[in-house]
Amino acid sequence: MAIIDILNAVVEFDKVAVVENVKNAINSKTPIDDILNKGLIEAMDVVGEKFSSGEVFVPEMLQAAKAMQAGLEILKPHLTGDAMIAKGTVIIGTVKGDLHDIGKNLVTMMVEGAGFNVVDLGVDVDTDKFISEAQAHDADVVCLSALLTTTMPIMAKTVEAFKEAGLKAKTIIGGAPVTDAYAQQIGADGFSDNAPGAVELIRKLVAA
Amino acid sequence: MNRVLFNIDNKMLDQIHSTSLELLGDTGIRFPNKEALEIFKHHGFKTDGEMVFFRNEDIEKAIKTVPETFKLHARNEDNSFLIGDDSYRMAPGYGPPFIIENSGEMRNAVLDDTKKFCKLVQTSKALDFNSSIVAQPNDVPAETAHLDMLLSTMLLTDKPLMGSTSSKTCAQESLEMARMIWGNTDKPVMLNLVDSLSPLQYAEEMVDALLVYAKAKQPLIIHSSCSMGSSGPITLAGSLVISNACTLAGICLTQLVNPGTPVVYGLGGSPTDMKTGGYVNASPEDAKHTAIVTALGRYYHIPCRSQGALTESFSLDYQAGMESSMMLTTAALSGVHVSLHACGTYGSMLAMSFEKFIADEDLCCAIKKLMKPIEFNEDAFAMDLVKKLGTSGNYLIEPHTAMRCRSEFFIPDLNIRTLHSKWLRMEPRQMDQRASQLLGKRLLAYEKPDIDPLIEKDLIKYVENKKIK
Repeated sequence: MAIIDILNAVVEFDKVAVVENVKNAINSKTPIDDILNKGLIEAMDVVGEKFSSGEVFVPEMLQAAKAMQAGLEILKPHLTGDAMIAKGTVIIGTVKGDLHDIGKNLVTMMVEGAGFNVVDLGVDVDTDKFISEAQAHDADVVCLSALLTTTMPIMAKTVEAFKEAGLKAKTIIGGAPVTDAYAQQIGADGFSDNAPGAVELIRKLVAA
Repeated sequence: MNRVLFNIDNKMLDQIHSTSLELLGDTGIRFPNKEALEIFKHHGFKTDGEMVFFRNEDIEKAIKTVPETFKLHARNEDNSFLIGDDSYRMAPGYGPPFIIENSGEMRNAVLDDTKKFCKLVQTSKALDFNSSIVAQPNDVPAETAHLDMLLSTMLLTDKPLMGSTSSKTCAQESLEMARMIWGNTDKPVMLNLVDSLSPLQYAEEMVDALLVYAKAKQPLIIHSSCSMGSSGPITLAGSLVISNACTLAGICLTQLVNPGTPVVYGLGGSPTDMKTGGYVNASPEDAKHTAIVTALGRYYHIPCRSQGALTESFSLDYQAGMESSMMLTTAALSGVHVSLHACGTYGSMLAMSFEKFIADEDLCCAIKKLMKPIEFNEDAFAMDLVKKLGTSGNYLIEPHTAMRCRSEFFIPDLNIRTLHSKWLRMEPRQMDQRASQLLGKRLLAYEKPDIDPLIEKDLIKYVENKKIK
């Protein structure tokens, strides 16, 4: 089974075909690393690009991410050595006082789709929880989400707390009222207004 | 549907009708056309010179033979559609001789403009058919311009089309070209606009065209309108009556020539600018006529036609959007069946604009979405999903949402839905510039629809021969 078929099935968010194609690829001794990186992960990059250009819509991108994850589940028992190592660990959550999670869930799926180990803390997450989880998982990046202007100051407080704690994790922020200017103002390491953009940002920060 | 917007009840419609009949009987309508006068006389109508007088029973009889609906056939049968019932069909501007550019400059339209508009019509999600004069070209001889325009439509689009009504010859030649595609058919393949000449008369050439098409049983839009306060009374009631009388007289003639000829009922009215004496359209008074024409069309059980996205503006500004939207929304909500001028016109229908065309398409698509009946079925209620997700759900992630994400909502091509920061960075940012950009992409992506090469050759040869003569 050609890697391109796996990639196309993810792009077309055909979950059944993704599972089938991954199984066939494994059976035909295709390198597991290729199935993961050139098939599943690269497919999500294609989807991300198509989303950024307006060709793919949000619900379709999410279905693609689900299809990709279904393929990943089949692949997991076969992951050994380099292929098993995640690209990095990302902690994500909506800040204290804010219960909105649509954007956060979207970012979670896309970042997972890019091969990162993602720890989703959910909503209404206080600063201490972000710090302790980042420490426990040795996180590379911490993503803070907020929809309310009233909860944006919590982002500033959390970013400040990470600096004081001296953790290696980079902090990035997102959410409808958040801007690049605000990210700079509170000293966060980055900002994205969309999910594929967040993936790119995390990649850059992890590689830096 | 029409009664939702305005309080037009049957009593008012009866009053418009009976007053129109009084006018038709007492004053009559002028038909300066020998053949038409002979037809009226042959059927026992009272005439006085070129004036024709109508009895109630003549009008009642004519109305009865007009079909309530008819199918307009396209060269590509997939593009054929019904006119009447709940359908709503749109065509672009009709008649403008000028093009207004983004710079504001106004220039003569040329045949290349007509062809570009044909390409836009063909690729339009909004428009259902082409008008016969989407832009009147100035760089070809006026006597044969109708042939150039019709040939462009026939070759560059495969949607339904309109024939020329400028003269008897224009109508005959339009029909001959249609017959080269469809053969000698009496199925409706060419919609034709006949306008009366307010007040209370028709031009000789228009009547000639009416007779040609009615004999061939091709559908006719019979439309009357006046400039309120100059070519008709300043009042809406007076305007309605003189235009209704004129339209009814025209419809009557179509049915005398060939009972059962499909007709679209048309009536309009625009105020005269009392500050200048000039013609004004896209006013609330125009919109009111639009609402009432649909009520009258339905009263007579005849499909009805209105104006489209008209504006007095000369650029893609607030005025253009406001006026176009008011006109087209009123037409749609009133239940009109056919709108001409749905895309592209500026300044009293005098000029076309490519950018306005692109912008109007968004408006047309939004309105068609607005008019689409709400779906009530198991999948639309989505109760299984609602129960499954309860209060913790994220519908964005569900396949039900993904399956419908392209079709459920109106998605604009030109209008923006973005973040302020992105809008600031947008290049180009202004609507007219973005419309230009979309226009370029549309023309680039255009593909000429298939046509039998022999028919294409014959059509081209026919037009060439006519032009030589």
